[in-house]
Amino acid sequence: MEQALYITRIEQLEYMRDNFTRMYFGAEFCERLIPNPDDVSRIAVFACERGLGLTLMTPYVTDAGLERLVPVLDAVHAQSMPVEVVFNDWGVLHLLRHDYPGFVPVMGRLLNKTKRGPRIMNIIDQLPGTCRDYFESCVLSVGAACDFLKHRSVRRVEFDNQLQGIRLVTTDPEIAKSLYVPYVFVSTTRYCLSAGCDDPDRMDYVGVQDCSRECRDYVFQLDNPVMRVPLLRRGNAVFYVNDRMPETIADGCFDRIVVQPEMPV
Amino acid sequence: MKVLSPLDSAAEVELLADAGAGEFYCGLLDERWHDRYPVMSINRRPAGKGHFRTFSDLREAVDRAHGLGLPVFFTLNEHYYTAGQYELLWFYIDGALEAGIDAFIVTDFGLIASLQERNYRMPLHCSTGTTVFNSRSVHFFMELGVVNITLPRHLSVAELGCLSSHVSGVGLTVFILNSRCVNVDGFCTFQHGLAGREIPPMYRNACMLPFQVSGFRMHERGQPAVLTQEACQVRRQKLWERVHVDDYPCGACALYDLHRMGIGSVKIVGRGNPLERKHSDVRFISSLIERAAEAGGDRDEFLRHARGLYAQTYERTCRPFMCYYPELL
Repeated sequence: MEQALYITRIEQLEYMRDNFTRMYFGAEFCERLIPNPDDVSRIAVFACERGLGLTLMTPYVTDAGLERLVPVLDAVHAQSMPVEVVFNDWGVLHLLRHDYPGFVPVMGRLLNKTKRGPRIMNIIDQLPGTCRDYFESCVLSVGAACDFLKHRSVRRVEFDNQLQGIRLVTTDPEIAKSLYVPYVFVSTTRYCLSAGCDDPDRMDYVGVQDCSRECRDYVFQLDNPVMRVPLLRRGNAVFYVNDRMPETIADGCFDRIVVQPEMPV
Repeated sequence: MKVLSPLDSAAEVELLADAGAGEFYCGLLDERWHDRYPVMSINRRPAGKGHFRTFSDLREAVDRAHGLGLPVFFTLNEHYYTAGQYELLWFYIDGALEAGIDAFIVTDFGLIASLQERNYRMPLHCSTGTTVFNSRSVHFFMELGVVNITLPRHLSVAELGCLSSHVSGVGLTVFILNSRCVNVDGFCTFQHGLAGREIPPMYRNACMLPFQVSGFRMHERGQPAVLTQEACQVRRQKLWERVHVDDYPCGACALYDLHRMGIGSVKIVGRGNPLERKHSDVRFISSLIERAAEAGGDRDEFLRHARGLYAQTYERTCRPFMCYYPELL
């Protein structure tokens, strides 16, 4: 089982250990957090020198975000090393296929839309098998979906370690699967509640607004008895922690564990 | 620019058309689906009101709409379907086709691929769940044969302008009224409606539940500092429990700009709303579209008129947390 370290900032390189053979770097949730090309180049050199695989994370993006992504892709491309790019936006896949065919596209966990809300756990044991099957399965159970991805050179899909477990035995073995631990992504917004949160005058403003990267300064824990676990909000994304490996990992469906030492924002 | 109106029954067709609806969207959910999947929908609306119940009712609605020259689009817009659901899914797809619907509104790339694999020729519309935030994404779906795309709520007017200026040959739909989801619809993995209304914590939208919020200021070195409950950063995190996503959110002020961008239609959320509400929503938006389209219209005058009409129609003032495009306030 390959183990990868997922970091969002160059300072987090301190988490690197010998057991990691791949490095994930970048942003999944906000185009303003796309790293600058210099940092991406440094990470690429770091990975290359140590014989590590490199996976670049990309978020969902507006047209402005696409423009910001291009010099980052160019910086990695210049390193002449094999690189995976995780896309969480079909437009980014379109960009990769047309302008950067040398990169290996990987479908990100935002486009893998399995249900992850913790409330499911309150009732999952009482649900009919059809519902459990839905919550534990995914779009890759559909052959046409797998063919769709493979036709577009996508042969890896990213998964969260959702509380209800994951069954992948009926999915196409030609598509590799990665499992993210311990932070499970639940939801994201562009109406970010960290943006402007230091300013009481912006208390009730809900919209796409300027920010000062307050997401790097604050973390919020949200507790409600109906949620089996605390929700963690950092910037424009919500997560929870699940550090218990799914029972189905023994099936051998996952070939890579992606370790997030911090919430990846 | 057309008004894309919700439709729940054949009896609503003429009234909503008379109010200015230019096209309809609807869904069908009956006991076949509900018995197998009691806590999950086939089309992003919980079981109960907001659905056609029989294909004969759907056919009647389609016939009446077509009689007025208006198309009807059928929602199959769950974020994903699994292999076990397809046998039933094909039943609804074939039933909707026989009823004469004009397009499917879809989200799931697996469904798009499955329809193509079976050579279904019905026009496809992307729902907002497909998260099309940029023009490259539009082109991706155009290459799949999609003819219309409902864009995400979470784009500013300027971003909508930029995206629309880079694409042609595809219809674009933008949200204009009701249900201003706080999270990006297509990326939200919460499951709503896990129980009936009698159990609110399981029924309500997870994002709007009351949460005990603890805030922490992070430091590069050392322990995070705990924020007080009175800190503005913490109080802001509770915004979603103070405001309801359906407290008449509105984006009507943007109609002036949307019209000039060439946006093809604006969507009113409201499957399951009473007919009177749907009717007033459609009339409100359609009258503003007419105003926005008037040659030589003055933008500032339009904004004043739209805000006045909103206050008059909904007996509320404009509020930044209920405004789809608060940059226009």
